Amino acid sequence: MSEKEDETSGLYKVGDPPHIHIGFDKNQLMLKTFLLMSIIAYASVMVMGIQALFHILIALGTVLIVHGTMDSYQKWRGIKPTYDSPASPLVAGMIVGLCMPIAAPYLVTAVVAFLTMFVFKYMQGKYFDHKYLNPAATSKSVLFLALAGVFRFVDSEIAARVYHPHHQELDLLSAEGFEGAMWIFRGETVPLLGAEVSATQGLFFWQTHGWIGGASGVVVLIVGIVAAYWLRYKWRIILSTLGTMTILAVGTGLYLGGDPLLRVAFHVFTGSVIFMAFFMATEPQSTPMPENSQYIFGISLAILTFVLQIYNVVGGSLYALVIMNMATPLLDMIVIKSPYGHRESKGGG
Amino acid sequence: MLEEKEHVHHFKENGGFEVDIRMKLESIDDPFTEVPPSDEMTVFLNQHIGPEGDPLVKKGDEVEYGEKIVDFGGKGKMCVPVHSPVNGEVKGYASVRHPLSGGKERAIIIETEDEEKEPCYEPLDPKEASRKELLERVKEAGIVGLGGAAFPTHVKLGEENISHLIINAKESDPNLASDVRLMMEKPQWLIEGIKLMGHILDVEDITFATRTEEGETPEFEELLRDNDVRIKRVRPNYSVGSERLLVKEVLGKEVPSGEFPPQIGTIVHNVATAYATAKAIKEGESLVSRGMTFYSKKTGGKNLWTRMGTSIEHILEYVGVSQVEFERIALGSIMMGPTIPDPSYPVLKATSGLTVFTPEESDPYEEEKPCIRCGYCNTVCPVDIYPQMIMKAEEKNDIKRLQSLNVLDCINCALCSYVCPSNIRLTPYLERAQNKIRKKKG
Ligand code: SF4
Ligand code: SF4
Repeated sequence: MSEKEDETSGLYKVGDPPHIHIGFDKNQLMLKTFLLMSIIAYASVMVMGIQALFHILIALGTVLIVHGTMDSYQKWRGIKPTYDSPASPLVAGMIVGLCMPIAAPYLVTAVVAFLTMFVFKYMQGKYFDHKYLNPAATSKSVLFLALAGVFRFVDSEIAARVYHPHHQELDLLSAEGFEGAMWIFRGETVPLLGAEVSATQGLFFWQTHGWIGGASGVVVLIVGIVAAYWLRYKWRIILSTLGTMTILAVGTGLYLGGDPLLRVAFHVFTGSVIFMAFFMATEPQSTPMPENSQYIFGISLAILTFVLQIYNVVGGSLYALVIMNMATPLLDMIVIKSPYGHRESKGGG
Repeated sequence: MLEEKEHVHHFKENGGFEVDIRMKLESIDDPFTEVPPSDEMTVFLNQHIGPEGDPLVKKGDEVEYGEKIVDFGGKGKMCVPVHSPVNGEVKGYASVRHPLSGGKERAIIIETEDEEKEPCYEPLDPKEASRKELLERVKEAGIVGLGGAAFPTHVKLGEENISHLIINAKESDPNLASDVRLMMEKPQWLIEGIKLMGHILDVEDITFATRTEEGETPEFEELLRDNDVRIKRVRPNYSVGSERLLVKEVLGKEVPSGEFPPQIGTIVHNVATAYATAKAIKEGESLVSRGMTFYSKKTGGKNLWTRMGTSIEHILEYVGVSQVEFERIALGSIMMGPTIPDPSYPVLKATSGLTVFTPEESDPYEEEKPCIRCGYCNTVCPVDIYPQMIMKAEEKNDIKRLQSLNVLDCINCALCSYVCPSNIRLTPYLERAQNKIRKKKG
């Protein structure tokens, strides 16, 4: 028998399958998220006015400056740029703009945007294998904690506009306290319609206080559902967060008093909950992968948020989110879903 | 066309994907044409799952079409013989890189003398032949599963206590259409094969699981109905055609992890295998040729009847394209086919297709980005495992974690890579992870 050796010319490139891709990539995901959030931004400017636009533009401008600077630096040093398109920075900037309270000074918005982009996106990505903490939530939490500390010792106007000291006096547990605190959401006259809104209507449709992104809870809800379905967000987190908040709100209303519908409107439709649930709590890197862990994440996030909200902690939902982000590596270990072939004994079913 | 259309909103949770089958539909209309054998045929000794047999020929021997050139030897029931695809002369043996295993394996080189095709074995009358004789013929004719796995067919047909036979005509691959063509062009042979399989297994409950819609293969479907074969139209999701998922789809039962369908009294055979079985028994044909789909953006889909051992360069020439036009060639489907570095590689028993790419159709996974933990991969995984976590555990060589992530249950469908927005090709990680666990288990 004669044996001859294989002589392959290596004419073709070799590689593992598959050889086709869905054609939808990270940049498109970010860009579409940005475009959808722009609808919320538009509604916010309509409701809250030009000030909301300034916050959003300042946040976007700041992240783009940081991104541009870092991108040039990385190219100059011959390092592969972290972002091959401005889509992800734009989303970060938009989130910062929309998660700021309308009363916050513009400087605070710029600082939060800077921290988000530089520290919690670029640096966190550089020094860790992925982003464990939601960049915008952590930046805002860190800054708010710092300002809260400042406010304890110094009578600072900036700190006061962020920290809202009068919140400390609110009693959101009792029926009277809760209903009394809701005055801030009622009485607005909606342009064109010329009608005055009740507190419940205000919280659903036309909110001129609080987070810019929550100006119209209904718009966030609709855009959020479209985004979650279209872009396949981690919908279990949204569902469990909002579902738990609703149950807690109704339960509190029934047991402790306060119109349950108004409680749902307040506890679910303020920007710090509804915007956070759709666009921050689903941030992929800092949230769990297993489906059941996502439910645990959402339920825990809602409980923490509710408790902090009831006890008047300003920025409570973001502290809750950061805490849950920290619990994510642990939640990732809980792979409860049984794969095919493990679910039924002896193949019955 | 190989258009990468955006379908993000189409992917489904828990088992499947509404894959774009326009490429397949484009290929269906092209009838089979027979590719003449190449001047030199490269016939691997091993073309199936199982040990390599013993060669029966030496350099200078004259061989006939269909003649057995590799025998079982004493290597157990998983060994399958190999036959000469042509009348010709044995030029010798070569050590050639095997397109599937990636390692160098022995192949017999045969110089083709003519294109005659006279079956080597005597036809058998299924009414008179015993079950043992029929099984022996299937084994002797070298029949293996033609859906891609190349599992010895006689082993599956030899199972006892089987109550359900599923004929798999799902043909999930988005660009292959040779199974449908068989249903259109050879309905009588297919029905014979299905009946023979049922007869050998002593099974009356037969399901024909197909992607095709009512009216796509009317003649064949009428034959199925006339012969009491139940037609199950399977949802078009991509990986439902995998044997394990198909069992669930048809019977609503899962095959236990690490086991095979016979464990739950079921056998799944590919539709093309049924055809080969019928030809082996009723005409004495050994398995030396098969239907396959050639797909390129330039030519569209072409269904070819090709002999095993035919070189890819010969097929390229046959369909009228030049080998230098292409940058990548996948042996099989666009989703699962391994690539080959050279056009001299031959068609194997398991080669159900050939997908070729020009340099303009660049590898979509070339520009891999960091994982964003979006969870698309585990959302789409049809067996409900966590490819991203497996990738991370594999990188850290964390065997314990890999075991807890059930990586051995992966059916290698590649859907996770297909949907990854960071263009990460997860398949190599999964394969390495599986190998690590198998190695640990010994
Ligand atoms: S591997 Fe791809 S699909 Fe899976 S989580 Fe990471 S980015 Fe998403
Ligand atoms: S290749 Fe494996 S891990 Fe990936 S989707 Fe298919 S079965 Fe799941």
